[in-house]
Amino acid sequence: MGKTFSEKILGLKAQKDVQAGEVVTVSPDYILSHDNSAAIIKEFRKLGVKDVMSPQKLVIILDHIVPAASEKYALNHKTIREFVSGQKIQNFFDIPSGICHQVFSENGFALPGKLILGADSHTTSYGAFGAFAAGIGRSEVATLWATDEIWLRVPETIKIEIKGELPSGVYAKDVILKIIGEEGADRANYKAVEFTGEAVKKFSLASRLVLANMAAEMGAKNGYFEPDEETLLWLKGRAKDKFKVISSDPDARYEAVLDYNISSLEPQVACPHTVDNVKPVSKAEGKEFHQAVIGTCTNGRFEDLEIAARILKGKKVHPKVRVLIIPASRQEYLLALKKGILEILVEAGCVILNPGCGPCLGAHQGILAPGEVALSTANRNFRGRMGSREAQIYLASPATVAASSLEGKITDPRKFL
Amino acid sequence: MEKSFISGRIWVLLDQNKRLIEDIDTDQIYHNAFLHITEVSQMGQYALGNLEGWKDFSKKASPGDVLIAGRNFGAGSSRQHAVGCFISLKIGLIIAPSFGAIYFRNAVNSGFPVLRCQELDELVAKKALETGDEIKVNFRSGEGLNVSRNTHFKAEPMSAVQYDIYEAGGLFNYGKRISKG
Repeated sequence: MGKTFSEKILGLKAQKDVQAGEVVTVSPDYILSHDNSAAIIKEFRKLGVKDVMSPQKLVIILDHIVPAASEKYALNHKTIREFVSGQKIQNFFDIPSGICHQVFSENGFALPGKLILGADSHTTSYGAFGAFAAGIGRSEVATLWATDEIWLRVPETIKIEIKGELPSGVYAKDVILKIIGEEGADRANYKAVEFTGEAVKKFSLASRLVLANMAAEMGAKNGYFEPDEETLLWLKGRAKDKFKVISSDPDARYEAVLDYNISSLEPQVACPHTVDNVKPVSKAEGKEFHQAVIGTCTNGRFEDLEIAARILKGKKVHPKVRVLIIPASRQEYLLALKKGILEILVEAGCVILNPGCGPCLGAHQGILAPGEVALSTANRNFRGRMGSREAQIYLASPATVAASSLEGKITDPRKFL
Repeated sequence: MEKSFISGRIWVLLDQNKRLIEDIDTDQIYHNAFLHITEVSQMGQYALGNLEGWKDFSKKASPGDVLIAGRNFGAGSSRQHAVGCFISLKIGLIIAPSFGAIYFRNAVNSGFPVLRCQELDELVAKKALETGDEIKVNFRSGEGLNVSRNTHFKAEPMSAVQYDIYEAGGLFNYGKRISKG
């Protein structure tokens, strides 16, 4: 019997033959943390260990509340900067850089066959490059800093075969929303999800990142795409280290194989207050909203901003809607700037914010008041996520958010293309 | 000290229709407005502070109490505050049919007891578990006793790694014990 990607990579790391369900002790290749490094540092200090065991493995990226929105956040950032310099941590990205998952990827840490653990639930993103990448908690990261070792349960794997071709006006975001809506927010709890099939092979890396990122919203431990020529091309000149592609065996044992054909897929919208409350746009159309967000680790890349600009070019956003644009990183920001994308968006009446998590997690830069409604390209619409618990959050693709911003209500983007 | 079982008074997280609340995400357990807090002792006051009908939980709960919740408890963010807030209140155990994957790990690695119990919805529906009941649960066997009603139930026992970390008092101490062999 063959093995899945997850069984293979964790077996390799544990230096033994393993199967789903076993518990292994492993040492990761990279350990990611962000603003929560302040809390991790506090925890690390309590362990009574003076120095980080493998400082070269740490990647610390400030993104959640950048620049600091209050004295408390400022103090957390200061604590982190002092720790970084004291521990001689080379891979530190201060506030100009952008969202951790984008910065981590574009700087070549997210590599095929690497084991990456991060103190953020959307660490699953790096599966887009064929890495085993999983979110963990604060105590785990502190312990990893101290000991460079951790236990992991080898996950069972769900294979999702995506066939067909994306219709015009339908994007990776619609595909993953459809899947989460069908399967439910806990379908993949503790499990690995492999995305495969003819359709995803045609996806850009940016689009694959959308699926791997939101695998977390099905509860997945990790997401995975088999690296192909497109992946290797993307990594050329970026890869921080040597790497080896690891793939599932053709006769690997899967917990389930799910088939999706996207050829007749409509744009999708996740309605309040769970990500699996998904409807086709035709069933959500007409819902008025107050704030639009195009950005986040899910959909803030150049390809997303370009789609929005294509729809908004030469037009004005609805006067009752505030449209916030947040490029995922400084690199994506600069590219959009040079290509004239940001100019189009500003002329249409959008607000351009600095790269970072922005209002996605409700800490600053566009908090919702009671009774307000947001339409966002983010990955979560939990009650209270963007501020008031009396607010509502709808999730959709950048195209749907841009088209809806013109109308002031949820709109099918296909009539603008 | 024998750590393999716990007794405590239960809180059953019900909605207005008297059903176990499902998909209680990390934002409802611990709202993002308080993420700047890094001291566990200060987190308790915000526990369930964003969950409809349960916002005053931190004032009602007593040390040793047990929480009974619906499917997929702790879905969402990796924020450990959502576990820390219950540690801060000295809650003894959370039982749910399933947990968010990262939440479950965070609890295990914090040495905080969490147990899965598939028959929970049924037990609650037939009122075999009601808020205020006193229960006793064995972590190693998963056997539960409702002391108030003298009825039995069964949860999944802790896995070996979960029990060892719990007994060691958290992930780091567990690691030290392993490396000393």
